[in-house]
Amino acid sequence: MNPANEHLYEMLRQVSGYIYPNEVEFHWSILIVVYPYLTGLVAGAFILASLVKVFKVKQLQPVYRLSMLTALSFMIIAPLPLQMHLGHWERSYEIFLTPNFTSAMAMFGFVYAWYLMVVLLLEIWFTYRRDLIRWTDTDKPVMRFVHRALALFSKDTSEEGEKFDMKAVKFITIIGIPSAFLLHGYVGFIFGSIKANPWWSSVLIPIVFLFSAIVSGIAMVMLLYMVVTPLRGQKIEMVCVDKMASFLFVAVVIDFSLEMLDFIHRLYESEESIKILSDLVMNKLFISLGIVQVLLGMIVPLALILFIKLFRVDEELRKLFYFLGAILIQIGIFATRWNVVMGGQMFSKSFRGLTVYKMDITGIEGLLMTLILLLMPFAILWVLIKVLPPWDASPSPSLH
Amino acid sequence: MKRLLQKIPDSLLRVGSVFIVFITVVLLIRSLIPASLKNSEEHRNATVEREVAHPVKHAGSEVCADCHEQYELKKTGYHKNLACETCHGAAQAHSEDQEIKPVLNRKREACTLCHLFNPSRPTGFPQINPVVHNPGKQCITCHNPHDPKPPRVPKDCQACHEQIERTKAVSPHVQLDCTTCHTVNEQHKITPRVVKANIPNDRTFCGKCHANDSKIKETPKVDLSTHGEKYLCWECHYPHMPEVN
Repeated sequence: MNPANEHLYEMLRQVSGYIYPNEVEFHWSILIVVYPYLTGLVAGAFILASLVKVFKVKQLQPVYRLSMLTALSFMIIAPLPLQMHLGHWERSYEIFLTPNFTSAMAMFGFVYAWYLMVVLLLEIWFTYRRDLIRWTDTDKPVMRFVHRALALFSKDTSEEGEKFDMKAVKFITIIGIPSAFLLHGYVGFIFGSIKANPWWSSVLIPIVFLFSAIVSGIAMVMLLYMVVTPLRGQKIEMVCVDKMASFLFVAVVIDFSLEMLDFIHRLYESEESIKILSDLVMNKLFISLGIVQVLLGMIVPLALILFIKLFRVDEELRKLFYFLGAILIQIGIFATRWNVVMGGQMFSKSFRGLTVYKMDITGIEGLLMTLILLLMPFAILWVLIKVLPPWDASPSPSLH
Repeated sequence: MKRLLQKIPDSLLRVGSVFIVFITVVLLIRSLIPASLKNSEEHRNATVEREVAHPVKHAGSEVCADCHEQYELKKTGYHKNLACETCHGAAQAHSEDQEIKPVLNRKREACTLCHLFNPSRPTGFPQINPVVHNPGKQCITCHNPHDPKPPRVPKDCQACHEQIERTKAVSPHVQLDCTTCHTVNEQHKITPRVVKANIPNDRTFCGKCHANDSKIKETPKVDLSTHGEKYLCWECHYPHMPEVN
């Protein structure tokens, strides 16, 4: 046998029913699972930050800057899995130079650029500008230059300038909320608009993506806050964590309801694909959908937060439950992305057969690369925290 | 102008400058990109021009019909939809100068490109397993590519000896009539079990084609004096499907 075909024959043994020849192997690998997961974290973390600036949720002030930096660090890595998957990542800038406005996929470049440059970077810059100038007084030479350059060599510490910064931040956040919805709604739109695939083709998909993004973003910032604060030798502000948990609870409830609505809607509609989709859910995706996504990723965290809300629970147990719940939510949301991307490719368009996904360990689309891509945002966040410490803020006039 | 600039907050001025520089750089780079990569209509025209500039290599079957009478035979046969140049090679140069001959591939691989057994081919499409189907022989020995009907095998014996018939049809002996080797009395057709057909009882009979001194080409040759001298050929070789060296 040709060694190049061995992989294919191994998979063919696990194919059940009838499947077209070009459906045996997956076209979209685990990297395409990572892409909506990372993008969702960006949108979610930004929505959390916007709660402070637009909706004046003062309890969340301690995580405002952290959530902005989290969004930025995940945003920088978010397009990488796509570019790795497509190959020739070095050509990606070409979509800006020779844009194709009729391609939904190509529009990601513009959605991404808008969100990164007009929303995230601008908001972070206006938030940090005054502190960047202040830090140059005490910085060592190299960092002083970095901070001065990041402040675009601005020296304006006047009150008018500061007031303008605050106004700008508020304005950008107001633009940022629909932009964050656009960013992750767009990712859902890409899947939801593929009408040839009944697992993806649903108008609810962009909204489900959006709420799962909010869930994952809040849970990620909560996790980071609960890990980073003790590492700094500081005390976790439970008011802030409790508030985040409350928002997380609401977001998970909405996300859960939407997913159930989608599920019931599909069952009631009972289109011609329902049989193969039931087969898919009950066999191929039972663990990742039924157990990991729904039970561990939604019901258990909901129960944990509900338990805290219903009973008087001491601080240590609360921290443990929040921490556990946030980790489970991360795993659950990753499973959500997995189920969408992989589920849509597991069944034949003939609706008569199912295939399997075999993940490589090494290689550009393998498990190791996935782990590297998932860890890279944390490395970037570490650098960002070093350069732009989120807890060394001047008192903000807008909150007094 | 200076007053107007002073009214704009310092931070906005700096951020605005960065954006203006960035957008200017992008526009500058974009202006350097050739128009055929930016405008889809120009891109299409450029592609057409590039394709048209390629040298013409194929002449088309109608040109062949002017000189080659086999075209008349081909246009009614199973290969009627196949262009002459599929097998004979590109012939534009040949149509202009007959001294230049197109390259004709006579190997089996040229035919098995379409006729190799492949389960995805349509039902009824003639397909072969080249390992058992007359291995080593050129396809055109038995099949006329201009009118590729299955080769005619003698039919008289088929009524009773169907299995032998089918076996011989894909063997190197396909073109031999049954009566080349068997002497058949007319009475055999009436009472086959009483009057039997003769089979060769002499080694020299097979030697007519397979002895070293045989004048018939393209057959495997042996030295009859040393090759299994005390046996008849068919005691070791099955004549309806002889193995091929």
